[in-house]
Amino acid sequence: MLPIVGYTNKLTAEPGETLDVMVSSFGAKSYRADFRQIIQGDTNPEGPGYKDKLVALDLGSDRPALEKPFRPGSCVIVPGLDALPPIKDFTVAAVVKPTLLDGRMRSVLSLPGFAAIGIDENDQLTGVAGGHALVTSTQLSINHWHIVSLSYCAATQNLALSVAKDLDGASEPSLPEIVTVKAEVPPGNPTECIFGASRESDGELAGFFDGKIDRPAFFDTALAPNTLRHLLTDLSQLRRQRSLLGAWDFSLKMTTQTICDVSPFLLHGQIHNAPARAMTGWLWKGQELDWKLRPDLYSAIHFHSTDMYDAGWEVDFSVTIPDDLKSGVYSVRLVPDGDEDAAYYCVFAVRPPRDRASGNTVAFLFPTCSYMAYANHRLGMDVPGTEIGMGRAVELDRHHMFLQDNPGIGLSVYETHDDETGVFHSSRLRPIVDLQPKVKSFLGGYGSNIWQFNADTHILGWLDAIDQDYDVITDEDMHEDGLRLLQRYNVILTGTHPEYYTGNMIEAMQGFTDRGGRLMYLGGNGFYWVVSFNEDMPGIMECRRSEAGIRPWEPGHGQFYHGFTGEYGGLWRRNGRPPNHLCGVGMTSQGFDISEPYVVSPEASDPRAAFIFDGVDGTRIGGFGLAGGGAAGLEVDRADQAQGTPEHALVLASSTRHTDIYLMTPEDLLDPTPDWSGTQADIIRADLTFFETIGGGAVFSTGSIAWAGSMAWNGYDNHIARMTENVLRRFDDKTAFEYPRR
Amino acid sequence: MARYQITETDIPFAREFLAQPIGYHSPGLQRVLNRMRGADWEFKYVLVVEERYARWRLGRLAKKRGAKVEMVDDVTYTDLLEAERDIFKRRWKDLVGQDVETLLSQSS
Repeated sequence: MLPIVGYTNKLTAEPGETLDVMVSSFGAKSYRADFRQIIQGDTNPEGPGYKDKLVALDLGSDRPALEKPFRPGSCVIVPGLDALPPIKDFTVAAVVKPTLLDGRMRSVLSLPGFAAIGIDENDQLTGVAGGHALVTSTQLSINHWHIVSLSYCAATQNLALSVAKDLDGASEPSLPEIVTVKAEVPPGNPTECIFGASRESDGELAGFFDGKIDRPAFFDTALAPNTLRHLLTDLSQLRRQRSLLGAWDFSLKMTTQTICDVSPFLLHGQIHNAPARAMTGWLWKGQELDWKLRPDLYSAIHFHSTDMYDAGWEVDFSVTIPDDLKSGVYSVRLVPDGDEDAAYYCVFAVRPPRDRASGNTVAFLFPTCSYMAYANHRLGMDVPGTEIGMGRAVELDRHHMFLQDNPGIGLSVYETHDDETGVFHSSRLRPIVDLQPKVKSFLGGYGSNIWQFNADTHILGWLDAIDQDYDVITDEDMHEDGLRLLQRYNVILTGTHPEYYTGNMIEAMQGFTDRGGRLMYLGGNGFYWVVSFNEDMPGIMECRRSEAGIRPWEPGHGQFYHGFTGEYGGLWRRNGRPPNHLCGVGMTSQGFDISEPYVVSPEASDPRAAFIFDGVDGTRIGGFGLAGGGAAGLEVDRADQAQGTPEHALVLASSTRHTDIYLMTPEDLLDPTPDWSGTQADIIRADLTFFETIGGGAVFSTGSIAWAGSMAWNGYDNHIARMTENVLRRFDDKTAFEYPRR
Repeated sequence: MARYQITETDIPFAREFLAQPIGYHSPGLQRVLNRMRGADWEFKYVLVVEERYARWRLGRLAKKRGAKVEMVDDVTYTDLLEAERDIFKRRWKDLVGQDVETLLSQSS
């Protein structure tokens, strides 16, 4: 378990910039903080040894460790309803499709202190107003949309709750069930309206709804359900209704946090905890697949009780990055109650200054998008097949046990919500407990079994071991600054698994190599998934896993376009930017048990590649390593001209077999015959690939996540590390590469 | 419900696994392992790290997200391959109802 956890408000900061640090106790009474550069995080005794460096920066003395909760769950909050005249007669209504009914009481909409519609523990609809409660006999269904309403007429004292279940397969709407009671409901002045949750007396949100809500509306008259159905069908007519107090069209300002009221009262609201927008609504029947072309059909929001955007913890302290601190990967280390072994590392990058180059010509690209994609992932806990893919039992490290005890920390884009629909969003505004040195993982192979950030420290450790000066830049920096930042460098090195890329990032990196930059892609399954940032919500990322790719879920029919940007989600390969264009190889297979050596190919003797093999002999390379015992493994990429690999690319070496845990990616497995496995199919291999670009640049791709685990073998003294250094030295020499003319 | 049911006829694969728990496996052994490691369980055996790269405790992880990991009393390992062998034997017992060591000694 982790007695203390924390996070910073940014994963990248320049010298002079201030970082806020948020900390919560999970058992600790007090803590002290220090500031450390992370050099090498793998603690495997077979490895090069853990290494960090204390930076002399006073972060204060002992502080009390305060408990701060995780509060997941999304909703819409519309404030300012008290601007309306006192409510006597009313109707509140919405069209809803629950996606999880599990005996928990949930709120569909609430006007706290006045009226509410919810779902009870028996999946029946409930309505409450003036202390009177109604329940339908109809049980809601996860398979259908329902028009729900609660209305009151003061003259007749009739309080009515209605539910009409729309059966998609039926030719006409089913009749509503209406339950009524004679009641006296005093006039009210609700201050807010909440969709998808309610508010407790202590002010906290509760009763989160898992499901879709479309076009909630509020009237100052009691409307019959059939009239209501007619009105809700056409939002453009609805806004002229004189009885209308508010109608919220979720298809407006889709890419923002704003919720628009289309009534003349303009009671606009905000989403809370980033529910999924741009989701098919009540009237979507497949007419259009791109929400940008028919946003009116995408008028639903899918809420989840497990959504999380900003943990919102109070700031414990702030740190200003010293002006003279060199760029690198650093952490604020939190030591609880003097127990160094239980220390928590809030990891971030100190990037070079925005307004001037550092002078370094080599940059390590700290892949924050991929770290966010995997943030707090639970593959080994939630996905039974993970053990099959690992080829061995799941190890649960301390941070995994913490995740198991604290699912409220929010999920990664590898998980499903409790309703088994995919998690589209991952945020860095919360603790990311697997973004730490030392931590073990599920997928890192037999050996060190480390993944993403901790595996990437094999590269940082190697740069340190060869005394290479370097800057650290992050995905978010590249997304924001593009080639303006990348152009400072001769060489950019990736991490072991830079899988998630925004359009800006792809364009910047392609522009870099096109114009003479040198890319060392030291990983596998890179540049694979489309992800998007949201201009209105810093720190959160969207990923919709459309159509293909190895993926734990699909976004649902008609929901393949990102809500944040309107981009088509899924693989870059299907969006005109195959990784092969950029790095010469593309994802082909994965297995997380053992790795293999590469067998050197005849193309390695091409004089163009001589600098790579300087001092490296033999026909097999990389038959050792910390990630599965070989340099080729975990996730592997192949060169393939049909997917965009440049014709002049040299495939220097390839792995020639893998275990049968390695299977074909779905995008290539059109006909799933049983011969597409690691011992049978030649297409399942890592291709070590090199090519020059027409602008004098060059690309070196390992096509394997396990490569860095071999670099770190024997204290970085081995021929894989030697080859990597050969490439770095030549790539850092500005002499243009000659583009071969064939 | 998994279709493939492990029986005494799979005993050669048990022998193969115990000789080399991690790495290349015959198709028959892989099928046995797929059954043992797949979804058709109310719980999964997991290795709870007590000391990284040195000591693990055997745990049982329930299917439900957020469920408490139940520790199996007095079972610790200092070697991952030994842990794999022990988990294999436990699952064999759970699925076949017999002690794999006894079957192995009878068939050798």
